[in-house]
Amino acid sequence: MATVTFDQATRIYPKAERPAVDALDLEIADGEFLVLVGPSGCGKSTSLRMLAGLEEVDAGSVLIGDRDVTDRPPKDRDIAMVFQNYALYPHMTVGENMGFALKLAGVDKAERARRVAEAAKILDLSEYLDRRPKALSGGQRQRVAMGRAIVRSPQVFLMDEPLSNLDAKLRVQTRTQIAALVKRLGTTTVYVTHDQVEAMTMGDRVAVLKDGVLQQCDTPGELYDRPANVFVAGFIGSPAMNLVTGQAVEGGVRVGGAVLPVPREQLARAAAGNGQVTVGFRPEAMHLVGPGQGLPVLVNVVEQLGSDAFLYTKLADEETDDVLHPSDVVVRTEPRSAAAAGQKLWLGVREGALHVFDASTQQRVD
Amino acid sequence: MTIASQSSREAQTASPPAAAPAAPDRTPARRRTTLTRNRWGYAYVAPFFLVFGAFSLYPFVYTAWVSLHRTSLSNIDGGTWVGLENYRNLLTSEFFWNAARNTLTIGILATVPQLCLALGLAHLLNYKLRHRTFFRTVMLMPYATSIAAATLVFSQLFGRDYGLINTALEAVGLNRIDWEGGTWSSQVAIAVIVTWRWTGYNALIYLAAMQSIPGELYEAAEIDGASRWKQFLNVTIPSLRPTILFTVVVSTIGAVQLFGEPLLFAGNGTTSGGSSGQYQTLGLLMYQQGWSNFHIGQAATTAWAMFMIILVIVGLNAVIGRLRSRADR
Repeated sequence: MATVTFDQATRIYPKAERPAVDALDLEIADGEFLVLVGPSGCGKSTSLRMLAGLEEVDAGSVLIGDRDVTDRPPKDRDIAMVFQNYALYPHMTVGENMGFALKLAGVDKAERARRVAEAAKILDLSEYLDRRPKALSGGQRQRVAMGRAIVRSPQVFLMDEPLSNLDAKLRVQTRTQIAALVKRLGTTTVYVTHDQVEAMTMGDRVAVLKDGVLQQCDTPGELYDRPANVFVAGFIGSPAMNLVTGQAVEGGVRVGGAVLPVPREQLARAAAGNGQVTVGFRPEAMHLVGPGQGLPVLVNVVEQLGSDAFLYTKLADEETDDVLHPSDVVVRTEPRSAAAAGQKLWLGVREGALHVFDASTQQRVD
Repeated sequence: MTIASQSSREAQTASPPAAAPAAPDRTPARRRTTLTRNRWGYAYVAPFFLVFGAFSLYPFVYTAWVSLHRTSLSNIDGGTWVGLENYRNLLTSEFFWNAARNTLTIGILATVPQLCLALGLAHLLNYKLRHRTFFRTVMLMPYATSIAAATLVFSQLFGRDYGLINTALEAVGLNRIDWEGGTWSSQVAIAVIVTWRWTGYNALIYLAAMQSIPGELYEAAEIDGASRWKQFLNVTIPSLRPTILFTVVVSTIGAVQLFGEPLLFAGNGTTSGGSSGQYQTLGLLMYQQGWSNFHIGQAATTAWAMFMIILVIVGLNAVIGRLRSRADR
């Protein structure tokens, strides 16, 4: 077990305009499950590969425990990695795949067989040890890839989108299994995904990246409740947070025809840039109010999920039904609510549920 | 190259499509329409089969027919029927066994280093190199060189009195070698020519196969702690196994048919393969029987013997391949 530290780690691909990973600073505690999340091209996989030693580090350093591994080859780092498409050796059986690293490390045959059998038992693979990967289902292959990692009892697990080749149902199932397994083993884990639900459900902490720059690293709860900037606010949560930019006026922010109340001091700081303020409110932070009291919106689409219903609405003018803003405002309501497409509603934002950002810097203002 | 063995190779590649259209049970009306449609299909493939029949299948069968006669080149149709006598003669002929032995040793001397070298070169070319396209083109140049030109240059290199290789041997204090005169030395020299010509070709085939190996496999192996060499042994070679089998078969066929190199290596166009036949191959022997001694029936017999040898080797390879893949499962 070990900690992992990224210290100003930077990766610049040849001929690239900007770094793929830009001065990443990250401390991962011993036994922690850290998820790197972000849209494609944000540098999350590159960061993981820098830790694995598959990608050069152009500036800064990477530490595992107290050891600087920046210039060490992968095999000297005591890590194990699970690849997106598993990268199982096609000509080896499941057992040989799992035992390959041990074989290379010179572990004797009996010990090897014992450890492979142990890992296979944990992953429910015991009866498949003599099969080849091509004779396995997608879920079983995924488990073999996991098995290959845990057999070695490395200091750090690296997982690069290990669930993205599974179907939706299996993905949810495997998600909880991996989280439970890693918790039980207590091994430090760095997990890359583009799926924020995966990130929120699995991670002890979640690091959000965008364009190679770390935006925020925090517990899922904090990330959800106090996003550090507009990007994180919009990225975390499904459906996404509603974000609207408006002019700061006396007592709040003007959004369409209505004014959303913001405390005076907070408003002053948020408007310090150019007078524009971005406000965010989550779908579940809204409730319906009487006509003329809150934000007037026109219902565009109603999504019934059984447990909830989501109204996809557009900001509308108070008097006429003209749409004022093209972006959606999503509202979570009771299932089977009476709302129908084309209906006009008035929305109120729950007390204290409004997120305020400076529109010029995109940063959160409390 | 012989008429018989060439046509046999085409026969192997061409037979599957002819056997393919097996019509399942259908209603009479449907069958009529598929027949009409198939008639057009047959019409479209007919030109190939006509040419194939006239220039491959017919000579192939006719060679077998000729091999059962005592006949000469000037009077092919007028020979006398001798049954299997030509085959009996062949199997008791010391010339045949000498040629067969030479073909085998030259084949091994040429094929084994050729394929090993090709594998190594392909591995090197698979790295990210500057001017990679240039190197890959260079690899194919020996293959593109005329066999006559190549052999001319090589017989100069291997010359006894003024050859570059002997000069080099002398320079480091070794004795001159009469490359053409000795059995092993002449066979080694011919194997070198064959290797030079075909290594690049095989390397490109290996390279193409290597490029289809997913990069993650190497990354996984690297993380598992495999050195470059172990990665080559445990990832590259197993992934190339079908390709290696293919090149072994093709090179073996080429080795059995070896003709141009030993003919031109002699330097004077004789088919005897050296003063004591020390490098006479089966191809040379057949040519000698038919075109120097005018025993066209005997030559046809040798051609068929070569075809049989190829059939046995290819068949053995197929059996080994099947056994291996069954063991894999």
